[in-house]
Amino acid sequence: MLRIPCPFCGVRDEIEFRYRGDASVARPAAQADASEFFRYVYERANPLGWHAEWWLHVGGCRQLLRLERHTLTHEIRAVAVAAAAEPAR
Amino acid sequence: MPGPARIAQGLLTDPRRPVSFRFDGRQLSGLAGDTLASALLASGRLLAGRSFKYHRPRGIVTAGPEEPCALVDLLTAAGREPNRLATTLPLSEGLRAESQNRWPSLRCDVLALNGALSAFLPAGFYYKTFMRPGWAWERLFEPLIRRAAGLGRLEAIVGRHAEPAEIVHDHADVLVVGAGSAGLAAALHLAGLGLRVLLSEQDSVLGGGTLLDPRWHAWRAHALGVLQRLPQLRALTRTCILGAYGQGVFGALERLEADESARFGGQRERLRVIRARRVLFACGATERLIAFANNDRPGVMLAGAALAYLRRYGVAVGERCAFFVNNDEAYEALFALRAAGVRVVGVVDRRAVSLAADRAAAAGVPVFRDSVVETVRGRARVRAVGFAQVSGGPRRHLVADALLVSGGHTPNAALATQLGAPLHWEAAIAGFVPALSPGLGALAGAARGEGGLAACAADGVRAARLLALELQAGAPPTADAQPFPPDERQTPLLALWDASKGPRGKAFVDLQNDVTVSDVHLAHREGYEHLEHMKRYTTHGMATDQGRIGGLLGAGVLAAARGVHISAVGQLKPRPYAQAVPFAALAGPEVREHYKPKRRLPLHAWHERAGATFVSTGLWLRPLVYGDAAGWEPVLAEARHVRRAVGITDVSTLGKLEVRGPDAARFLDFIYANTFSTLAVGRARYGIMLREDGMMMDDGTTSRLAADQFLVTTTTANASAVLEHMEFQLQANCPGLDVVLSDVTDQWAQFAVAGPRAREVVAAAVSGIELSNAGFPFMAAAAMELAGIPGRIFRISFSGELAYELAVPARQAETAWCALLAAGQPCQLRPYGLDALNTLRIEKGHITGAELNGNTTPADLGFARMLKAHGDFVGRHLAARPGLQAEERLQLVGVRCLSDARLRNGMHLLEGTAVGPGLGYITSSTPATADGRWLGLALLSGGRGRIGETLRASSPVHAESVPVRIVSPHMLDPENTRVRA
Amino acid sequence: MSAPSPDAGVRQGRWPAQVLEIAALRGAGSALAQCAHRLGEALPGPGEVRASAPRVSLCVRPQRWLLLQPAEGPEAAARAHAWQEGCGGLAAAIDMSSALSVLLLSGRPAREMLARGCRLDLHPQVFRPGMAASTLLAQVPVTLAALPGGLLLLSPSSTAQHLGEWLEATARPFGEPGTLDIEALFSGETATRYP
Repeated sequence: MLRIPCPFCGVRDEIEFRYRGDASVARPAAQADASEFFRYVYERANPLGWHAEWWLHVGGCRQLLRLERHTLTHEIRAVAVAAAAEPAR
Repeated sequence: MPGPARIAQGLLTDPRRPVSFRFDGRQLSGLAGDTLASALLASGRLLAGRSFKYHRPRGIVTAGPEEPCALVDLLTAAGREPNRLATTLPLSEGLRAESQNRWPSLRCDVLALNGALSAFLPAGFYYKTFMRPGWAWERLFEPLIRRAAGLGRLEAIVGRHAEPAEIVHDHADVLVVGAGSAGLAAALHLAGLGLRVLLSEQDSVLGGGTLLDPRWHAWRAHALGVLQRLPQLRALTRTCILGAYGQGVFGALERLEADESARFGGQRERLRVIRARRVLFACGATERLIAFANNDRPGVMLAGAALAYLRRYGVAVGERCAFFVNNDEAYEALFALRAAGVRVVGVVDRRAVSLAADRAAAAGVPVFRDSVVETVRGRARVRAVGFAQVSGGPRRHLVADALLVSGGHTPNAALATQLGAPLHWEAAIAGFVPALSPGLGALAGAARGEGGLAACAADGVRAARLLALELQAGAPPTADAQPFPPDERQTPLLALWDASKGPRGKAFVDLQNDVTVSDVHLAHREGYEHLEHMKRYTTHGMATDQGRIGGLLGAGVLAAARGVHISAVGQLKPRPYAQAVPFAALAGPEVREHYKPKRRLPLHAWHERAGATFVSTGLWLRPLVYGDAAGWEPVLAEARHVRRAVGITDVSTLGKLEVRGPDAARFLDFIYANTFSTLAVGRARYGIMLREDGMMMDDGTTSRLAADQFLVTTTTANASAVLEHMEFQLQANCPGLDVVLSDVTDQWAQFAVAGPRAREVVAAAVSGIELSNAGFPFMAAAAMELAGIPGRIFRISFSGELAYELAVPARQAETAWCALLAAGQPCQLRPYGLDALNTLRIEKGHITGAELNGNTTPADLGFARMLKAHGDFVGRHLAARPGLQAEERLQLVGVRCLSDARLRNGMHLLEGTAVGPGLGYITSSTPATADGRWLGLALLSGGRGRIGETLRASSPVHAESVPVRIVSPHMLDPENTRVRA
Repeated sequence: MSAPSPDAGVRQGRWPAQVLEIAALRGAGSALAQCAHRLGEALPGPGEVRASAPRVSLCVRPQRWLLLQPAEGPEAAARAHAWQEGCGGLAAAIDMSSALSVLLLSGRPAREMLARGCRLDLHPQVFRPGMAASTLLAQVPVTLAALPGGLLLLSPSSTAQHLGEWLEATARPFGEPGTLDIEALFSGETATRYP
């Protein structure tokens, strides 16, 4: 079980959150072609190590969080509210 | 004092309170405070069961949760509970227990023959022997093996479930695991600094090793006194930490005492989920066995267990005790037993030099140094012990009825290793010690390889200081420290795993799974050199005791076979759970009718009074049909009444979201595939929503209540998914938009009034609105008042009839509903349920969850022309993929049955006499309101091009095959004249 | 040792309050606070509840507030209207009176009982009077607010019966149950037992 430090609510159990996918990919601009959208929707790196993820705090403040989690140790080293998060690269 | 072996006053037993119990049908007696094991030993009974594979007689080996042999079936009013440990099972009046794995009786067991045949039952035997013929495994071998092996017996108690158990959530600054001298000292120190401490102890009392040393009783009493006065320190006894799950989360099982159990509805265990900022593992070390021939005979017991039975329960485990040791600590039992008057016939010590051995010799105990036990004589009980010098020489014998063994102590590292702690070899104790990374917690006492109660207690204080520093706790506590009684000087141990000499007699490394030294050798010969491979080949350490007393022995034997030091082999890593856990405790309270919460309609009570039959859809309870008559007739009667006159149904379950703010319209244009910014205030529009991969996500009507205020409705099933989707899109992909989302699903009760006479009914009930076709046309939305209640009205239809949906605040639902019913009386307004609603929508060709199945595109469902040509929206790019435009994709069609047979959802559509997966399948079906003949919606390959064809709808599992005609999905009023009437 | 007093159990009640949700629009900032002040409303800080009889206001989502008042006060719609008129450009005001049910809880074992279904740390020194939080209880969303005399629970009204049944069943082992009204929460005892 993960314990996620929500910037608004404090540390909460994973059950309160909904995983919303890989936050290291950004939605391409409207004029991008289908292949860019294909990469955005389907292509994933599956890293061993640090991974940026979206988690929606549905059981709390309902904010979307961008967090960096280590896929091996589950350590969470950074959490930010989506709106305030750095733009994904 | 009940029982011939009760020779002293025990610390935990009350001699004035005898307790009677039955074991294997025999009436016996013990004392309050006994465990089943101590009461059996007090009665002079040692035989507790038969072994797993060879059916060898087995006794009681330990005095705690590490017990491998004394597993019993507990018989209660609720049924038979297998695999309870006699060594931890508290004795209670009338307790009934039975030994396991024997037939017909414990003394005379037919399958003990396995023991004689054991030469043919080596490790890996099952894999090699029962290969052919293939059928025989399932029908012959497995049933036979299952009867012969296995532990305990599970009786079917279906229909008599245990009481639902609680799951309790706990929080602490520090979880201290284990309340021995280290844990107690640490917990008191931490709590003294003001930290919240949870002290868990699997024993029924606090104290651990201090219970066994009278010099420590004053210290323990003082510590418990201090503990009582510290509200921030909570001690849980009978609580076993089952696993460490990272990020400070631990699972624990608490066994309830009788009165607590009665108070909580009869539940016997409760699961605890503990969250702690730091953990302190003060969980001690477990004494280990030594391998030698017949080291499983009843009467062979760990030395520490003999000490525990004497101190805790006043029970002598034998009349003539011999010892086999490799360390000084084990001599405590020797001196204690002698002091209590038990005869010690001799000590076989692996070492040449030992301070403790010197003291024993000085006291007149025969000490045999540099020697090992080679074998044990006796079958149902030890009769004699054969030993010899390590350097050779003749075997000598000691006549004894108990052999008390100690191979040293293995730190309990399981929980720490679950947190990723690496193990390092500690030669001083001949054991592996975990190293926990800082930030997670610390280890203290015997769990860290310390020996002696004072050293452990001091180590507990050291670890507590470390954690307090990490947690930035306040000033050190006022000196209230009780001095620790000093430890005795000890000679170091000499590592010893296996004293067996060749294949004479079985030398066990795992008593519960009947794994012997020669099994480990066989595994090595066959190439299973890695410890974890050997474990799986032999099943060593895979029993419920997780190899607590013998795990390291197997590693030691393997190391010798490989010719390497044991530190290169390592130690088995037990996974959670640390002990057997009843499923009832894991399931917790969310079982049966409490499995998931129920959402109730604002009108639930009214529907109940009206005799509705309810159905669970998602979490909602909805009226399926009014009345409890079975079959389609009542449903069709309700649906036909809507088609002929007018009906009313409760659609409050629809998801309702308010979208407000200056950018609300722009946001909806991004979320929906069609356009909402062009929607006029006071109008509603049907919308489709895609996922980013271009598949349909949801549909529904959205109304514009003001320039910057929309009301979105979603399907009932997708309500929360759509809200989350919109919240995600808004926050992740539209950070610049000024939009507020509010879930108002529960705020509004919503009713659909449908049928040719709907306008009459609504006009009679509502005020503040002109309902003529021109004044309030199809897809209009407005404010209204119903029975004086301000609400909203929408002219939208899901049934294909002239229809209005009326929304009022849920608290006033019943007033509004009843006002509508009263106003509708002249028009014979009647309620209809979910089944009729479904019949009506299928006839009209409206889709729901069966068609919005995640694999359908707008084009598949006939919405291709709704996709806006300009502007970005979720799913736009991938919906345009060429592959999704293929004509042979499954497309939405209608099907009409050409016979009187019924259709079924999921029926395959086939051509002619073809067999196989077919061209598509039926998604929704119903008898028609007009003639009762079945019709439905289907997803059919190239469906729109097949309209007019006749296919076969087939359900092989029902052996049904019926002819159907493929038609347009709009099977009723395709011109929409009725809805626009 | 004295026998447990008859009021040792969990006390429960309901408050048929009007609930108004205020959701700030972008950049409302301090103007909203000033506007609220003009309307005589308090907008507490994040994770806070403010109780001033007969009104309660709390904040468990960023830039959102729930304003509660007795049902017999001015209509929620009128209050919403006042907000719309006074602060329309700064915030959306949404009537949630029917969407949320308000339950009241007090008594020494109340928090210990909630630990059976709530994952939050409700230790009285951690979840102190004046604090509010949104979480799950008995599998359903709940907003908890600690008032001087006990706890206030807001739950979606469709699951309020489920939650009420859960509370009643879970409270049973904790002694004689009692009843409670909102007045008792604005002031009064805070004695709490927490393991």
